[in-house]
Amino acid sequence: MSKAVSIKEPYPPGDFAIWIIIYVEFITFALLFLGYAFSRRLDVELFNGSQEILSQTSGFINTFILITSSYFVVKAVQNMKTMTQENYKEFNIKASKWLLLALACGMSFLVIKITEFSHIFGLGINLSTNTFFMFYLLLTVFHFMHVLLGSVILFNIYQKTKVHGYTPDDHKGFETGASYWHMVDLLWIVLFPLVYIIR
Amino acid sequence: MKRVLEIVWVVLVILTIFAYLLGYLKYISSFFVTILLITTFIKGQLVIDYFMGLKDVKLKYRLIPTIWLSVVLSLIAVAYYLPTTVAE
Repeated sequence: MSKAVSIKEPYPPGDFAIWIIIYVEFITFALLFLGYAFSRRLDVELFNGSQEILSQTSGFINTFILITSSYFVVKAVQNMKTMTQENYKEFNIKASKWLLLALACGMSFLVIKITEFSHIFGLGINLSTNTFFMFYLLLTVFHFMHVLLGSVILFNIYQKTKVHGYTPDDHKGFETGASYWHMVDLLWIVLFPLVYIIR
Repeated sequence: MKRVLEIVWVVLVILTIFAYLLGYLKYISSFFVTILLITTFIKGQLVIDYFMGLKDVKLKYRLIPTIWLSVVLSLIAVAYYLPTTVAE
């Protein structure tokens, strides 16, 4: 009786350097998340009151957008993994279509976030307003910059797929960018309940 | 199973709607915070395993983000549940 043995990849997808960056980002955001959570303990009323100003709906829509964009990116990665020398051009084009959808999601996230920031800044709120908004702005603006950078990376990958730049033997750059994008999604998955929901 | 990614996406969306409804309906009691943190862990682990693709990678690389997620969410729970002291 034979037993199926799954062979695990020795390294995570993409260039290993991106994983070093991802681990550093994990530590940085962990400090900010925990800074927020433990500062909240010192003045729960202030945090709950300030949180009321935020739109949970826009936080929810942005979570939905990032999850969906991550799904589009992983579908594109699937194309990269399954292509052969015979069909790589066709699969590059297929991947580019998934990436375009992911990019549209990234852009939507940024637009919603800019609208939210305009509302917050329009109320005269800034980093020194109170501890809640200091953490809120640090976390969300920092995350916003990551989405912006992720979108630039996705756009570059998209352009390369348009010219059939990835082959079965050379698509590590694609997976590197995808890994970065999933990290951005993972960070938001923690940020959303922490900042917008828990009170 | 061919539609794994689609199922993962649907689960992520359902758990996100659940979190949103808890906030929207203001059902944020200590019990629901626990549920919310557990569902956040599930969402994060799904992203780690199926979107980042670490399910098919050697365990140590899968464990790094899993441990990160567990520690962060556990400490958030500690911060939430520890009795607060009034700052003088």
